[in-house]
Amino acid sequence: MHVDHLPALGWELEAAACVRRLDEAGIDKGVVMTIVDAPEVNPDALELIANACAAFPGRLEAFARLHPWYDEAVELLERAISGYGFKGLKLHPVTTIAHPAVEETLRLIRAAAARGAPTLFHCGDEPLTTPLAIARAAEACPQATIVLGHMGGYFHVDEAIETAERLPNLMLESSAMPYPAKIREAVVRLGPERVLFASDGPACSPRIELEKVRLAGLEPQAERLVLGGNARRLLERVR
Amino acid sequence: MIVDSLVFPCRDLVERLDAAGIDRAVLCPPRARGETYAQLNDRVAVAARALPDRLVAFCRVDPLVPGAVGEARRALGQLGCRGLFLHPWEDAFRVTDRAVDPLCALGAPVIVATGYPWVAEALQVAELARRHPGTTFVATNGGQLNISGLGQTDAELAVASTPNLHLQTAGVYREDFLEGIVARHGAERLLFASACPVFDPRLELLRVMWAPAFTDADQAAILAGNAERLLG
Repeated sequence: MHVDHLPALGWELEAAACVRRLDEAGIDKGVVMTIVDAPEVNPDALELIANACAAFPGRLEAFARLHPWYDEAVELLERAISGYGFKGLKLHPVTTIAHPAVEETLRLIRAAAARGAPTLFHCGDEPLTTPLAIARAAEACPQATIVLGHMGGYFHVDEAIETAERLPNLMLESSAMPYPAKIREAVVRLGPERVLFASDGPACSPRIELEKVRLAGLEPQAERLVLGGNARRLLERVR
Repeated sequence: MIVDSLVFPCRDLVERLDAAGIDRAVLCPPRARGETYAQLNDRVAVAARALPDRLVAFCRVDPLVPGAVGEARRALGQLGCRGLFLHPWEDAFRVTDRAVDPLCALGAPVIVATGYPWVAEALQVAELARRHPGTTFVATNGGQLNISGLGQTDAELAVASTPNLHLQTAGVYREDFLEGIVARHGAERLLFASACPVFDPRLELLRVMWAPAFTDADQAAILAGNAERLLG
């Protein structure tokens, strides 16, 4: 989910809106991150997210969305995890135009992995974000857990599943991707412990995204892992 | 009443529509693989005649193939197809190519598979619609297929600048985009579609049924009224 203040886009993505939407859907906890890539645009982006989580204890966890090109990015990640209790790294190559497999990006992924924290990539149809581009990063950082957010978007879902079959450090995340049947296929081919539910709220509907997983028709135990067990495991291992 | 403004032939189409509670649907030919569009147009017309209360047929042609206008006339006339479906990405033509103009001049509503880079971007479809102000155009996928939301501004600009252009809901994951189109341009600009079997009708319907900002009147227009008015 996203929390941010972006007057240029006319967006006010409030933590309270995230929690309200979680409540509407009956979701216990959400992971929030900014739209901007710290320190670009908003040097205080980490504090924005830390304050959002502090305002709703037990409901929101934080990922640090960072821009790999900035020298201080690793230091910011360290501060986020050690100082504010963030649980992961978010990278969005559409907004940073930093390729997933260039050294500037890899150093961040490695720094996150050293703390046991996963890296969530936006993974869609745009250049720099395709499963095969992110796979190059996963190959270079086999110790890192890398999550393919949106599991390939509209046209790269099959490739996301195939790539994750080949690389055991990849996981798939279900938000926005519009095919319930592909969630089931991913669970069958990868195992239920490698697929994560997400909503991309509050602009997307957590209630609909949750129903999408239910329409996948998973076995109860697999559904429990996808809807919470897997995320809890990832969040708890950050040190 | 629920009208799905875009479906494609598939073995269990009626069962899928039933499972979602969809009453009627606009049936469009899939991409021609080893068949001509004339053959596929015949097939969707036969399917619609067999289920006249459930299916309405649209025809499809490749504008760059000689005889496309003649085939469209045949399908719209003899076969009883109610409109034209164009897929610039699958059939490899730019939607603003002048070869498309004679098809749009036939006066039937035109559904354009939209959101595909280089050939069927929202503003390209709007440009086509601007050339033919008397023709109804419907852009699939909210006018954009982008999981970052990067196409949303162009899609809304297309709607804002082109009164004869409408958007379908299929595959649009951003609830705020759909609600924004209705709030700023009116519910009459949006049509429910599932694009079944590409997308799952049960999920696609929720994008309209569960959008908190839609009034009952909005929902009625999006789910059926607009399609009945625009597509017959």
